[in-house]
Amino acid sequence: MKRGMAFVALAVLLCMGMAAATASAAVDWKQSQGTEIRFLMNKHPFTTYIEPKVADFEKLTGIKVVIEAFPEDQYRNKRTIELNAGGKVDGYMIMPGQDDLHYWKAGWLQPLDEYIADPKLTDPAWNPKDFFASFAKASSVEGKQIGIVINAETSLLAYRKDLFTKFKQKVPTTMKELEQVAKFFHGKEVDGKKLVGITLRGKGAAATSQWVDFLYTFGGSWTNAQGQSNFSSPENIAAFKFYGDLLRFYGPQGATMLHWAESTSMFMEGKAAMIYDANVFKALYENPKESKVAGKVGYAVIPAGPGGKKLPHVSNWSLSISKTSTPERQKAAWLFVQWATNKENCLGALLAGVPAGRASAWSSKEYKAGDKQPDWTAATMKSFEIGQGQWNPPVINVPEIRDITGQVIVDAIDGKDVVASAKKAAELMDKKMER
Amino acid sequence: MKTIFSAISRFVDRRQSLVFPAPAVIVLFLIVIIPIVFNLYLTFTKWTIGLGQPRFIGFDNFIELFGDERVWNGVKVMVYFSGLSLTLELALGLLIALYFNRAFKGSEIVQAIYIIPFAATPVAVALIWRIMLNPEIGVMNYLLQSVGLPPSLWVSSAAMVIPTLVMVDVWKWTPMITLIVLAGLKSLPHDPYEAARIDGASVLQIFWYITLPLIRPVLIAALMLRSLDNLKEFDIIYTITQGGPGIASETLYLYSYTVGFSFFKAGYGSALMVVVFLIVLVFNVIMNRLRHESQVV
Repeated sequence: MKRGMAFVALAVLLCMGMAAATASAAVDWKQSQGTEIRFLMNKHPFTTYIEPKVADFEKLTGIKVVIEAFPEDQYRNKRTIELNAGGKVDGYMIMPGQDDLHYWKAGWLQPLDEYIADPKLTDPAWNPKDFFASFAKASSVEGKQIGIVINAETSLLAYRKDLFTKFKQKVPTTMKELEQVAKFFHGKEVDGKKLVGITLRGKGAAATSQWVDFLYTFGGSWTNAQGQSNFSSPENIAAFKFYGDLLRFYGPQGATMLHWAESTSMFMEGKAAMIYDANVFKALYENPKESKVAGKVGYAVIPAGPGGKKLPHVSNWSLSISKTSTPERQKAAWLFVQWATNKENCLGALLAGVPAGRASAWSSKEYKAGDKQPDWTAATMKSFEIGQGQWNPPVINVPEIRDITGQVIVDAIDGKDVVASAKKAAELMDKKMER
Repeated sequence: MKTIFSAISRFVDRRQSLVFPAPAVIVLFLIVIIPIVFNLYLTFTKWTIGLGQPRFIGFDNFIELFGDERVWNGVKVMVYFSGLSLTLELALGLLIALYFNRAFKGSEIVQAIYIIPFAATPVAVALIWRIMLNPEIGVMNYLLQSVGLPPSLWVSSAAMVIPTLVMVDVWKWTPMITLIVLAGLKSLPHDPYEAARIDGASVLQIFWYITLPLIRPVLIAALMLRSLDNLKEFDIIYTITQGGPGIASETLYLYSYTVGFSFFKAGYGSALMVVVFLIVLVFNVIMNRLRHESQVV
């Protein structure tokens, strides 16, 4: 008994030691002592950050955490297959924008709202309000919170500051200006290299992740009010055409094979004046060992569409709890998720290069002191604020509908009849959508 | 105790033909027969992995298949890719085998170097090809331009993608055909050649009337072995293009993978796999018949 007391005292001390803010008497961190939980994770920088710290959590709670991490493609397959087989999975990483509806309908996602509302289970210092609203919404299905954001992303326009200054070009704020600037730079010779105006993803389904920002900004949408494919609407066709034309006239050759790796390496080779892709690729552009443009890149929010609208998407990795697990292990899993997403860990992860979903991490002194690209941070914050969490078609069979969409993007880049291609895709989409 | 052992040993003695193959048969049953039967069952169901249980829908998957444009595209790409690559591999493999069949100085070293592509891991070499074929930063265009030729889009163009993939496949797999044919050439009898030379036949005549008919069963065997892999070529195509640009290099086999493991539609994906299987089966039955006929002659 005495030893037990000593343990509790030690735990409380540890709690306080980690940060004054989390020290709360209300949550008994030892309540699931002895439970073993298993988390499936993607080999992601967040996993790399959190894994060595798990021992602290185990000491704090007496819960044994088993983490199994796999490279992304295998991870997605393994997660689906294990959950389907009813294996012992208590929690996992998920990209809600990609899989939430499928996983929700399959009955694999445990709603977290009850845990968050329970003062016995959730420390008030964890403060759910500290997470950006766009991400909290992105990690929910039918009004239920199904995950807590651990990696927050959006897309930004990155441009060559040095070239823009040299050629006296303004950073585009509208889609029209974007086209003009791309046209201006396309074919210019700089340092013996021929520039392309802009590089974007063009590879079918993979391109939809960035194309969707153009879709929303042009006022288009995946589905109309009746829930049917909206691809034949004038706004959607305008978005397909604009994106396709940008790549066809001012983009790299063979654009229909550009995935993010090819597109970013064009930009890092100094062969493109602009790129529109995930904001986190800043880490690639600014790495002087890999990139020839490090230190020469500026960042901006997506340019406004014809109606003046700017609507980028936000996407995230979240930690979720498996509904197939037992209540006892789910409770322990929630303690783990809560601990992994507390203020210290979010800040620590951000400082380690994993963009956090908590506002307090970004506005902290520690982050600001080391911030070498304040324009990137400002543009990211703006994008988080205005961003839309729904970046995939609102269906269960996301990959299939993305594939159908990708074919129209490829046709637009190849200069084929976009109206006919979009109409065909709309019919196919209406036939294949599963909800 | 002793009686049990002797009973067992008597049983084994009497039923050797049943007992000894049993472990292999059981393993085979578990890992080959059951999955195939389950796959056949799935073809008659609609099932998205994770969403409920397989639902029996009769022949609907096969009916859907006929109206699916990507299936026809897949068949077209398959015929184009396999037709071109198998023809080239067989022709080049035979020519090079004929060349290697004559003894010349250093032939062992040349042969050893020649089979390196065949020995290399497909995914690893395909990844290297993928980088080399990049139209902007790849070395292939650099080489073309350095000899004054215009750059190519290689796999980034819908028109060029299949010929380019065929080039990689031919580079990788021709050595296998050569090895098989070479073994066949070495085992040919000498008498017909001596007789032909005495009769004054030309080199071409000897090749056409003696070598080719004699080597035909071996050629067909090589073609069968190669076609088994080639008709369901996956690693090279998937690694280099994933079926792109668009669906320009998406073979039926690649499409069935996408349906099964990207769309998670197990029922429809299984039906597509069965179609691929039937195509490979029919092709090989025809080849096998040809082989038997040529052996009779």
